[in-house]
Amino acid sequence: MSLLEVERINTLYGDSHVLFDVSLHVAENEVVALLGRNGAGKTTTLRSLMGVLKPRSGAIRLNGRPIQGLPPARIARAGMQLVPEERAVFGGLTVEENLRVARLTAEKPWPLDRIWEVFPRLKERRTSRGRTLSGGEQQMLSIARALIRDPSLILLDEPFEGLAPLIVQDLVELTKRLAADGRTIIVVEQNVAAVLSFADRVYGFNNGHVVYEGRAADLRADAAPMRGFMGLAA
Amino acid sequence: MPSTAALVSQAFNGLALGSLLALVASGLTIILGTLGVLNFAHGALFAVGAYTAFVMMQATHSFVLALLGGCAVMLIIGFAMERLVIRHFYARPDEDQILVTYGIGIVLVEALRAWFGGNSQRVPVPSWGTGATKLGFMVYPTYRLQLIGIVAALLVGLYLVLYRTSVGLVVRAGIENAGMVGILGIDVRRTFLFVFAVGIVAVGLAGMLYAPVVAVTPDMGATFMVQSFVVIVLGGLGSFPGAVIGGLIAGEIISLTSAFDSAYSEVMLYGLMALVLVARPQGLFGTEGRV
Amino acid sequence: MRRLDPRSFLPELALLAVLAAAPLLLPPLGFSHDLLSRALNWALFGLGLDILFGLAGLLSFGQAAFYGMGGFVAAYLLVSGTIQSVWLALLVGTAAAGVLGLAVGWLAVRRIGIYFAMITLAFGQMAYFIENSPLSDYTGGENGIAGVPVPVLGFGAYAVRITAGLPMYALLAAAFFLGFVLARRIARSPVGLILKAVKENTGRVAMLGHDVPAYKLAAFTVAALYAGLAGAMLGPFQSYMPPDAFALETSGQLVVQTIVGGVGTLVGPLVGAALWLWLRDNLQLIPGFGPLWKLVLGLAFIGLVMGLRRGICGEILHRWRIRRDAARLSAAQARTEAIEAGAVAVPAVAEDVALPMPRPAIDGRDAEAEIAIEARGLARHYGGLKAVDGVSFLVRRGSIHAVIGPNGAGKSTLFKMLSDEVAPSAGEVLLFGQRLTGAGVTRAAQRGVAKSNQLNQLFLGLTVRENLRVAALARARGRFRLDLLLPGAGRPEVEAQIAAMLRLLDLSERAETPASVLAYGEKRRLEIGMALATSPNVLLLDEPLAGMSPSERVATCALIRRIGRSCTVVLVEHDLDAVFGLAQRITVLSEGRLLADGPSEAVRRDPAVQKAYLGAVQDDAAHAGEAVHEPA
Repeated sequence: MSLLEVERINTLYGDSHVLFDVSLHVAENEVVALLGRNGAGKTTTLRSLMGVLKPRSGAIRLNGRPIQGLPPARIARAGMQLVPEERAVFGGLTVEENLRVARLTAEKPWPLDRIWEVFPRLKERRTSRGRTLSGGEQQMLSIARALIRDPSLILLDEPFEGLAPLIVQDLVELTKRLAADGRTIIVVEQNVAAVLSFADRVYGFNNGHVVYEGRAADLRADAAPMRGFMGLAA
Repeated sequence: MPSTAALVSQAFNGLALGSLLALVASGLTIILGTLGVLNFAHGALFAVGAYTAFVMMQATHSFVLALLGGCAVMLIIGFAMERLVIRHFYARPDEDQILVTYGIGIVLVEALRAWFGGNSQRVPVPSWGTGATKLGFMVYPTYRLQLIGIVAALLVGLYLVLYRTSVGLVVRAGIENAGMVGILGIDVRRTFLFVFAVGIVAVGLAGMLYAPVVAVTPDMGATFMVQSFVVIVLGGLGSFPGAVIGGLIAGEIISLTSAFDSAYSEVMLYGLMALVLVARPQGLFGTEGRV
Repeated sequence: MRRLDPRSFLPELALLAVLAAAPLLLPPLGFSHDLLSRALNWALFGLGLDILFGLAGLLSFGQAAFYGMGGFVAAYLLVSGTIQSVWLALLVGTAAAGVLGLAVGWLAVRRIGIYFAMITLAFGQMAYFIENSPLSDYTGGENGIAGVPVPVLGFGAYAVRITAGLPMYALLAAAFFLGFVLARRIARSPVGLILKAVKENTGRVAMLGHDVPAYKLAAFTVAALYAGLAGAMLGPFQSYMPPDAFALETSGQLVVQTIVGGVGTLVGPLVGAALWLWLRDNLQLIPGFGPLWKLVLGLAFIGLVMGLRRGICGEILHRWRIRRDAARLSAAQARTEAIEAGAVAVPAVAEDVALPMPRPAIDGRDAEAEIAIEARGLARHYGGLKAVDGVSFLVRRGSIHAVIGPNGAGKSTLFKMLSDEVAPSAGEVLLFGQRLTGAGVTRAAQRGVAKSNQLNQLFLGLTVRENLRVAALARARGRFRLDLLLPGAGRPEVEAQIAAMLRLLDLSERAETPASVLAYGEKRRLEIGMALATSPNVLLLDEPLAGMSPSERVATCALIRRIGRSCTVVLVEHDLDAVFGLAQRITVLSEGRLLADGPSEAVRRDPAVQKAYLGAVQDDAAHAGEAVHEPA
């Protein structure tokens, strides 16, 4: 049985139809990448899964339980965790306080020490306020906030966007480690090369439709199918 | 030029007034910061607090019991307001929120007037607060000194709740980004209910504590509300430290100006607000993004 | 609406009839002449708030300041004997309130919503305390000013004293009628239309080239003038000027009355005031019920705000309009559904895109300049993040120029700096060789830089025609003009421009349809059309094809190509097939820096560009992180 099953969801943003009959499935321990041009509907898909946006129709099941229409808080407690594109670190709270907010409603939260092991940099800055962190540190904190809840499924939205190359490399390594640990992850990212280095499977999006589904290994060997949904003439 | 003793005495008055303003404005500012609602019924709730003290004092003859009972009453009013009305306005425009809370304010004030009449009521100073205390070169009413102490203790208590408890952590996170708090699995609506009730208890307590010092009338809260608006403009919208510091500044400005010419005390306060609006629109403690 | 139609004076005539009949018919129902007079005074006061809140969306809790200002200035001048003529005193009092309005408004209109309400409330209180203490020698402090004389009409033997009762009613009715006629003219003037647009979407009005703070200040001052006149008339009417004219309750009562009566209707303030006063006078007569009248009113007000937001007149007007427009609206909706379902063929683009209104003149020295826009070392840093980092490029006059790049490349920020919405951290933008940076988005628009947005920024409550009118008026009238009494549709060149735009956008049939009802593709066209309706020299299009269906994309590309023949176009777009089909030159950004810049074909073949888009797919995965960051 899949950990996540998404059946033909349709989502509207105000008056514009953004997702058209999007269906996905994600098995346990799998890392799935959503690729596509900007505006193709990837971020909207993640936000629909998390309950931030309510799909007009369709079904979403997590561990076999329907979750569509629930508020984000309930979906989070069911084991899904979004790391949003804008990171949404609480700027006035310290690093440690950010983590403490995150673990409040978790069933089996990680102890802080385990987070410090994964993110030694955050340990150094544990008493700094969120708004004083660099972009990379904020991204780490945002991911750490998800990890500390020990979710069964993590949604990463553009985790490498706007970060310096060295930091991106660190984060790529981190994501690889998480994948190797058997975490189930859905990742949206423009940095295709980075994503293909750790993803198992790929969905290609175009204009709000899923237009491609395949193994990341195949795309690593032959990038041609990507031209269809990444949109650059050969 | 007023004498030094008169100035010091006025400075103490400013401290008493300022600490009350800080308490009133704290309630206003945490509601505004977390829920995004400017509570125009805040002045009416101040009066409701004072009348609650009046009724409870008559029933129990104990100021402490009156305060405790009063808190329970304010808590119930706060829960009822949030559940019945405010909750339906989170997604509506600012103007609608202002209008509906203003309407609630009218209803509360008129309910007080219908119940107790328009004449002023007196709440006796608690037995442990009667008389005056010698402070070196001047004599100062004992209850006013105690008032400063009690309000300071309440503000410290509010500080501890906001900065040392899990609920406070959620509230501070919610002030910044309520949506993200929800994504982290926390029921934001319950937090909102809690914050609203705490804000109402804070302003109610201010009204109860102030009751022995002044005549209790249905309209007594209006001035406090407008002054607390000035306080949160000074301190920065949604900032708890801003409300406390702003409250003290406002209290001292009003009191010290009256030492020279009482006609100008309020004018100075609003003049300062105009100055802050021009020079630092986000307030003393506000961050730029939150204006 | 554009021709002089006797029916367009129907509201004025109806009001005149009501005002004439009221003192004859209403007294048996408990409306005494005195009550009606007081209601009219409140209603005149409320007309200002209705313009400020109903039209411009600014909720003020400090109107008492201007009411009191007008009242006390007039009363003091008369009682002290400085001025003999009551009429002149009314004029001076009104003007004084206007000056105060200008000063308070200058501070208040910088803020909206919560802040605006708090600031107006605080200044209202400030005025109250100033009147009450420092100025009590002049104002009588808590006692007010007694013995204000009544106005006299005519001279010598023919002089008529306008005393309390029917004569005073007639005077106040005349004043309200005049105020109503003026308010209605203002609401239908270009300024009125712009204020309506401000209420719907302030940012877009500024982007079109209107000076939003100036128009808000104008509305604020007009509201203060109405309040001042009403206040000034209060003293002669009651032969006493009460200090509570300045009180917070006065501002609050005005707000409640106006909302209950119906905001944005101009008669709402009158109905609300009459109702308030009638309830107060009559409920108080009921034994045992007296003290409860305001409680009942408060509960009704809460119910009104929670449920019927439009107020009494607003609700009646709304229902009447629904009945009147039902057929038209359902036809418009049916067409929208047909378009959404793909049952309507996408229109061909009109051949002729010549716009009647001239573009802003280019400074003589640079009139022959070949470069329309030049970006020089543009950079924008947000904290540690360098969204745009030293980008320079040229846009040739009369070309279609595209800016592309992967997500997060800094395109949106760059675009916002081109229209001066965002100030660069370093560098500058030149428009025909003249520095544009630092002018602000409104001045940039006036100099001929127009922008359409990625997310539609329409005035949804206005019709298609009105949306375009707001845009065209910005070119015709400049940043700010106080043509309060001219008709909104009174400029032939603007109306010709709108007609041309409607043809070009194929929206002629939809001209009277509210923008909210349009199909998505039509909304996108209107979004671009509003930018074009300002007759720009340079048109910036931010993702013009976003969310469009394939057939709509083809049509919109054709439209952009047509526009490009007469106007410089810069566009950001993710549909690269469309970009390569449209643009002559392309600038590629990556990670905030310039990756490539040149003719379309060269950019298309550039391996660095391909790499930035697809990543170094063939590279060793271990170097994946840095692969896309190689410099061009």
